Amino acid sequence: MYSAIVFLPLLGFLIAGGLGRVIGARSCEIVTTAFLMLGMVLSWIAFFQVGYGHQGAELVDLAPWFISGGLRVEWALRIDTLTVVMLVVVNTVSALVHLYSIGYMADDPSRPRFFAYLSLFTFAMLMLVTADNLVQMFFGWEGVGLASYLLIGFWYDRPSANAAAIKAFIVNRIGDFGFALGIFLVFTLFSSIAFNDIFARAPEIAKGSFHFLGFDWPPLTLACLLLFMGAMGKSAQFLLHTWLPDAMEGPTPVSALIHAATMVTAGVFMVARLSPLFEQAPFAQTAVLVIGAITAFFAATIGLVQNDIKRVIAYSTCSQLGYMFVGLGAGAYSIGIFHLFTHAFFKALLFLGAGSVIVAMHHEQDMRKMGGLWKSIPFTGAMMVVGTLALTGFPFTAGFYSKDAIIQAAYVSDREGHVFAFLCTAIAALMTAFYSWRLVFMTFSGPPHWAEAEAHAQDISDAHKPQAGTAFAPAADTSHEHGHGPVHPHESPLVMLVPLAVLALGALAAGFLFKGVFFGDAAEHFWNGSLVFKDEIVKRIEEVPFLVEHTALLMMILGSALAYWFYIVNPSLPGRLAAANPILYRFLLNKWYFDEIYDFLFVRPAKAIGRFLWKEGDGRLIDGFGPDGVSARVIDVARGAVRLQSGYLYHYAFAMLIGVAGFITYFIVMGAR
Amino acid sequence: MMATALPSILTILPELVLATGALFLILTGAFQGTRSINLVNGAAFAILVVAAIATVFQTSETQTAFNGSFVVDDFARFMKVVTLLGAAATLALAIDEMSRQLQKPFELAILVLLSSLGMLLMISANDLIALYLGLELSSLALYVLAAIDRHNAKASEAGLKYFVLGALSSGMLLYGASLIYGFTGTVSFAGIAAAVKGGSGPGLMFGLVFLLAGLAFKISAVPFHMWTPDVYEGAPTPVTAYFAATNKIAAMALTTRVLIQAFGTDAAEWRQILVFISIASMGLGAFAAIGQRNIKRLMAYSSISHVGYALVGLSAGTQDGVNGVLVYMAIYMAMTVGTFGCIVAMRTKDGSVETIDDLSGLARSQPAFAFVLMVLMFSLAGVPPLAGFWAKWYVFSAAVDAGLVPLAVIGFLTSVVGAYYYLRIVRVMYFDDGPARFVPLSGVLRAVLAVCGIVVILFGLLPSPIVMAAGAAAKSLF
Amino acid sequence: MTIGLTHYLTVAAILFTLGVFGIFLNRKNIILIMMCVELILLAVNINLVAFSAFRGDILGQVYALLILTVAAAEAAIGLAILVVYYRNRGTIAVEDVNMMRG
Repeated sequence: MYSAIVFLPLLGFLIAGGLGRVIGARSCEIVTTAFLMLGMVLSWIAFFQVGYGHQGAELVDLAPWFISGGLRVEWALRIDTLTVVMLVVVNTVSALVHLYSIGYMADDPSRPRFFAYLSLFTFAMLMLVTADNLVQMFFGWEGVGLASYLLIGFWYDRPSANAAAIKAFIVNRIGDFGFALGIFLVFTLFSSIAFNDIFARAPEIAKGSFHFLGFDWPPLTLACLLLFMGAMGKSAQFLLHTWLPDAMEGPTPVSALIHAATMVTAGVFMVARLSPLFEQAPFAQTAVLVIGAITAFFAATIGLVQNDIKRVIAYSTCSQLGYMFVGLGAGAYSIGIFHLFTHAFFKALLFLGAGSVIVAMHHEQDMRKMGGLWKSIPFTGAMMVVGTLALTGFPFTAGFYSKDAIIQAAYVSDREGHVFAFLCTAIAALMTAFYSWRLVFMTFSGPPHWAEAEAHAQDISDAHKPQAGTAFAPAADTSHEHGHGPVHPHESPLVMLVPLAVLALGALAAGFLFKGVFFGDAAEHFWNGSLVFKDEIVKRIEEVPFLVEHTALLMMILGSALAYWFYIVNPSLPGRLAAANPILYRFLLNKWYFDEIYDFLFVRPAKAIGRFLWKEGDGRLIDGFGPDGVSARVIDVARGAVRLQSGYLYHYAFAMLIGVAGFITYFIVMGAR
Repeated sequence: MMATALPSILTILPELVLATGALFLILTGAFQGTRSINLVNGAAFAILVVAAIATVFQTSETQTAFNGSFVVDDFARFMKVVTLLGAAATLALAIDEMSRQLQKPFELAILVLLSSLGMLLMISANDLIALYLGLELSSLALYVLAAIDRHNAKASEAGLKYFVLGALSSGMLLYGASLIYGFTGTVSFAGIAAAVKGGSGPGLMFGLVFLLAGLAFKISAVPFHMWTPDVYEGAPTPVTAYFAATNKIAAMALTTRVLIQAFGTDAAEWRQILVFISIASMGLGAFAAIGQRNIKRLMAYSSISHVGYALVGLSAGTQDGVNGVLVYMAIYMAMTVGTFGCIVAMRTKDGSVETIDDLSGLARSQPAFAFVLMVLMFSLAGVPPLAGFWAKWYVFSAAVDAGLVPLAVIGFLTSVVGAYYYLRIVRVMYFDDGPARFVPLSGVLRAVLAVCGIVVILFGLLPSPIVMAAGAAAKSLF
Repeated sequence: MTIGLTHYLTVAAILFTLGVFGIFLNRKNIILIMMCVELILLAVNINLVAFSAFRGDILGQVYALLILTVAAAEAAIGLAILVVYYRNRGTIAVEDVNMMRG
């Protein structure tokens, strides 16, 4: 069964990718979606079997991969609670996104390719979450990176999509570099990369020291920091986050699947999976906590002012990933994973809802051109409101349980920096509420700006101008490509609305249904050793002061009220505020100028070095003395040889004489025997 | 004494056939004029074939004639057969070419016979006098052949250049011969070998250098090659083919015999000269050909580099090395005759063309023709499994066995450079667009091309006839 | 002064050198080149005859006679080619023999 879960998407990929032209787009859609639906059902069965049936961790051996010296790598599926949680998340969202894409991509000519990529991604993600060792995890890790690259650049005829795909790939490469180094270090320390061996010996190794670069490092801290670097890249954490907003160039279902629900949470999953290691490395945990907190805060600030509907959600994702890391860093791994679980539902819901809005608006993504859509697309609107409620943590929705738990866990944690994390996450909660409702208000209420879209076109291109100079020019608004003709918003087809409904159900109910097992009374049993579960944190959470317990709720109400005041009661206020604080507004609108800073610090020097190596190293040195040089010398020699052939008799005779004289001289000098 | 001085008819039968045939045809031509052209041409071709057959059926025992001046051994027979076949094939090309021209000089066939006779004498020469006489007999006929197209300025310039430089080279050769005679007191190769055994003084070395200079001129080895491109370009194409395919083989045979039989005990001395000449020939042949546009000129440089490769085998100075030289020259003859057959066939309605660009697009208009030329080019470049590869393989492996690894390496490198211009011709034929459209090939040309193509392709599959004969021939020299 | 072999050889060497130098120093006339070739052959003949006399061996003189014969034929052929060339180009200046090169 587990093999079926993992390999059905691969089969789907092979069929759609290999035979797509033969069997046609419709068949590809049906085949891949059906496989994923089957996988989803099986995943839920596995979830209840493993999670509730108290089956122990199970290893499904597939095949030996390679053995090299002491390194032994197996293909194996590690099935424990953490894995099945991820299986459920990945397969459910993936199946729904497949279904949704049938509607969303209906007009696209290369649908077989799209569905093949989606299935490939799902397969790689499943390999990642079922990995039994670091190398297999790295395989899945790179597989999802590849699929992400392919899907971001799916519309390869758009320069901005290509730039975004390359940017995502390169930024991830930095993280992957750390991840790979981490794997090497783990192997150096443990002489094994299988999880069982590593976890068993972690406490023992932690006591040693590792000599590197002239310093003695606590070995596990170094390893965990390196591994976390990989997680930062994949999960778009502060400093390595820049690729995620640009990745919105991909089709919206891709954003929902990869850049909200699954791939970006791979880093979270990895840290949770390696929690026995991180537990032995307090400093690394503090790093996770602080980076997560900064990300949660900083991404939320940017989200406040963005105008592209998908970018708002993208920054929200970034921020929510920060929350998850805060949970992990605080030592409450189960709560981080719980937030991952619930977030997958409501963020996928928001993205798919946004996709539905975009379809309704004929591929218009600028919220300033929307407004008043409530009447045109009420179902989508309702779904978006549900998603927003869950995201902001409205009582008894999914986010209410998971996000609040994280904020409280940050408060009670005994890690250094937990107060900072608490403050960041609390303020971020306020901003989350603000930008989420801002999105809903700008889109669905107020006057319908799309009727006068033409007039605004000019402003938007102005607003985006500062970004144009950056090296990886972030997504130019797709609105420019799609016509500005009269827009008649319409509700999306059923095939797109059904996934919305299912996800909305999850967004509403996932919280209180599974709270108990994830970190409630049954949690110890539920996790069954698949990650480090610390009971005392949950205990302490129950004893926090009243004010702390309700911080998140308070912030949510405050933020929502602000949004209501800004965008419903007094719609002119945001503009005046922005005008009053132009520096702050610009700063946020340009995303803290991270793209510009990176462009200046890394991209331009790298390009300069590259150009230098290209012109001087490759062009002059290698080509000069290598192929081109050799061929040029050959031509020179040939020219010289031909010039000797002057055509004059006396030159020819002279050459002969020179030859004879040369030989005779040679013998006189060398001496005849 | 008289019994040994007068040869048995059988020993000199091939030469006798050629000599009497040539004299008879001179008379025929003189009396009948151009009317006899077909008779003279056909008879000359038949005479060459008969001479070749006579050579094949000579006894394999070593025989001498004319007081030991003339020797017939397996080596001589092998080289004579190759030379005569080359002469017959190129004469066929010449007959084909002549059939399309207004000028039909009957002297051409007779000159071919006479120079072939000279070559046979060179191959069988066993002393310095026979060496000189054979050389001059062939050379004098070749000077005239180069300029046989009397109304063509280029041809007469070719003849003039060849003559002047040839005279200079035979002067050098003679000066060397006189020194060798003076310092050894004998002209026979066996006598020289006996004298050299006691150690060669500087005078003898001078003599050897001058002698080698004269011989190197005949095989067109660097730096005595300068005449080759101009003469090859200027002379009529069949004559050029004759120069390339036969004269070199005879001269190479003579060089081999002189070096191995007369100076074999002194190999350490001449090996250095030979290594230098070999490297220079391979290098210059490979590099200078790159810029050429005229395919005949290109083939001239190609022949220079091929002489360099053959000299690699001779530099080894071993029986394997000589074996390699023999195989190389036999295969070289087949490749050269085939290639020049193709050049003769490059004939449009307006006349012959001879630049490489004229071949562009040939693969589409005349695929069979293009295929044969491609096979020949690949073979000349030394691409396995064609004959040219095996030819190089024999000489290089002999050189490696003799400890001349650097020479073999340089040979390999220059053959890589050389491959460039051979493959360029293939590229032009197969990948360039052009109007190449030659008049249909005559039956004679088809036959020559087919035979050469088959030899080049099949040698790799069935090398034993040539390799076995060459092995026996090489053995007879030691 | 006794005139020995060395003197003959020296004369022959000087003649030979003159002949060779004449070929490539002369830029005027092809007839001169032919004369230089003859000079070379004469040098060779002096060599051969001197050696022959010195060694008391008749072969050298036979060789010399054969060379004289061949040289006559060679000169005839050379002049014939020169005549053909002159008819085609109207000149026999060495510097004009330059149609083909490279």
